[in-house]
Amino acid sequence: MTLLKEKKIAALFRRTRFMRQRVYHSRHPFWVMVQKEVMDSINSWRFIILLGLMLLTTVASLYTAMSNLRSAILDDTATPFVFLKLFTATDGTLPPFITFISLLGPIIGIALGFDAVNSERGRGTLSRLLAQPIPRDYIINAKFVASLLLITVMILTLGLLMTGIGILVTGIPPTPEEFWRIFFFLLVSIVFIGVWLNLAIMFSVRFRQPATSALSGLAVWLFFSLFFSMLVNIIVEATAPAHITDVTQIIGYQGFVQNLLRISPSQLFSEATTTLLVPTIRTLGPITLEQAYGAIAGPLPLGQSLLLVWPQLTGLTAAACIIFGLSYVLFMKQEVRSRS
Amino acid sequence: MKHNAQKILAWLTLAWLMGAVLIPALPASATAGGILLFTKHTGIAVTPGELINHTVDIINDSNSIQQVSLQVVEQPKGWEATLMAGGWEISRLSVKPRSEESFTLQIKVPLQVEKGSYRFTIRAIDNNGRTATLPILTEVTEQGIFKTELETDQPSMQGSADATFNYRLTLRNRTADEQLYALSADAPRGWSVDFMVQAQRVTSVKAEANTTQGINVTINPPAEIEAGIYTIPVKAQAGLSSAEVELEVNITGTYNMELSTPTGRLNASITAGRDRMVELQLSNTGSKELRDIKLNSSAPVDWEVRFEPKSIASLLPGELATVNAYIKSSDKAIAGDYVVNVRAQTPEATDSVDFRVTVHTSVLWGWMGVLIIGVVGYGIYHLFRRYGRQ
Repeated sequence: MTLLKEKKIAALFRRTRFMRQRVYHSRHPFWVMVQKEVMDSINSWRFIILLGLMLLTTVASLYTAMSNLRSAILDDTATPFVFLKLFTATDGTLPPFITFISLLGPIIGIALGFDAVNSERGRGTLSRLLAQPIPRDYIINAKFVASLLLITVMILTLGLLMTGIGILVTGIPPTPEEFWRIFFFLLVSIVFIGVWLNLAIMFSVRFRQPATSALSGLAVWLFFSLFFSMLVNIIVEATAPAHITDVTQIIGYQGFVQNLLRISPSQLFSEATTTLLVPTIRTLGPITLEQAYGAIAGPLPLGQSLLLVWPQLTGLTAAACIIFGLSYVLFMKQEVRSRS
Repeated sequence: MKHNAQKILAWLTLAWLMGAVLIPALPASATAGGILLFTKHTGIAVTPGELINHTVDIINDSNSIQQVSLQVVEQPKGWEATLMAGGWEISRLSVKPRSEESFTLQIKVPLQVEKGSYRFTIRAIDNNGRTATLPILTEVTEQGIFKTELETDQPSMQGSADATFNYRLTLRNRTADEQLYALSADAPRGWSVDFMVQAQRVTSVKAEANTTQGINVTINPPAEIEAGIYTIPVKAQAGLSSAEVELEVNITGTYNMELSTPTGRLNASITAGRDRMVELQLSNTGSKELRDIKLNSSAPVDWEVRFEPKSIASLLPGELATVNAYIKSSDKAIAGDYVVNVRAQTPEATDSVDFRVTVHTSVLWGWMGVLIIGVVGYGIYHLFRRYGRQ
């Protein structure tokens, strides 16, 4: 928290009137810390690189979506949700926006959080910070809130950019329902990245070396994105019932496999976002013929879509909170010494 | 007139008898050297307005050519009788010796004539002044009417309310003059009656004296008519005479009903596992009473549809009945739209309606999610409280 010192210096020397006013108007020391953290991050190369990466992603997915929008609309005449196709349409060469987010989101989270505490500690500024008359948990809270703010701004910017360019190019404005679906999609993306951010902060508290925490974060990400599905496959092969005698049995087993997959945050995220952006999805699990009989294909209202993925949203939010709680406890219990 | 004719006949007979007795030297008309009149049909039955052609033969019994002058000496008043031969009207005819010649007595029976026997007498006088007479008796078997007749072979037809009834009428002008008939029908309100002559819609029709004219009558009953027998008088009115015929239309009832809701709305939303009341409206749009209307449904698996009341005993034409349907969805139903088909049926008529039922999933698990988040949030708050202010 090197900027805090600068703030103090600025406050001391009353560098500019403008600066002084800003400091004066920051009511609470906590928000001052958040502000400093945000400024620190924004000016860093790391954030610029991440932003560039996300921009590229946006442009690439927008390009894919644009070139496939026509065929995607022709394929699916049942739903009037043209605008949402921008986020999901693809021709297979480049993944759509939602896949990019689920792939790069964890990277952003890890990149913003992996050195939150241990770099401070490494530079020896943590003990100095703690010497200030502020509660100890302000440090970790401020780091978390600042990073989350950055993520929020980034995701909202990208989402709105996507929407804006979409309107410009297609000439189709989103309906209120589509707008809210996009809004909730962006919100879910923020929560999803928040999970990884918290995980990275936890590692940064736990491991002294930033490289170690970064690597462990990446390892977890790699595990979930590459090896987890393999692991589930192995479990499935091992536990698959030899004789299927009953429909309920196969449905129950299918549910079990799905729940195993849902341990991965990426799975929860992709289920939630797909349901939000494709209104025709009516259920995520297997459905029996009895349930399908008499059903008419049609889009769900937003409320029902939300209700359908409510467990996923709950899971993601709870995971973010619990990991944050863990890192909080770890940080609070940690012994902080001056440079040793 | 008849009396007169009989009198004359009596006198003639008397004269002939006297002649035969008193003047035996004079040859009789039947004897050689005279002429004879002969026809096969001396007594015929006719109807008024008919044209009769009697072929009469003159037989020349003498050895010289006879110039015969012919005359109808007796005919009823108002009747026309003409003598024709070779296309001409004749008064004299020449007959070769020992030969015979034929001519025609054309009688037009008047239209207005009493029933009874009428007598005609033709007298032939030859060169020598000898005469021969031939009485012909014509019996009119019908009262001469001098009026118009309107009739049909098929005065009664049967069909449903949406059918078209076609009647074929024959208008017979039995007056002596050409008439222009105005055609009219005294149909109840809502009926349409059209008169067609030679595929043209007409309101009047012209008929020459003693001719017939065919008229087609097309009757369309109103759609919402009750079953029953309806009589429609059709009239042809000319200045002096008119004729009327009653056409009978037997409307068989139609059975029809319509199932809908009071607002016409055919969708409903329902929470999975719960039930929902939908008000149905049943209306009898036919023309006959519907009895014992049963309601049933076909819904997705594990759904229940209950009706209150389960059946309707009777529904008169044009009446409405309200039925409450309680639709209970399966608790395994997934969110989104389902089709529930509701049918109302009697043996005669049936109608069905498809409801689009939107299933909402229960919000219970949503609250569970909120609860979990709440617990986690409380945990973090607890951590803040425990470690925060160090």
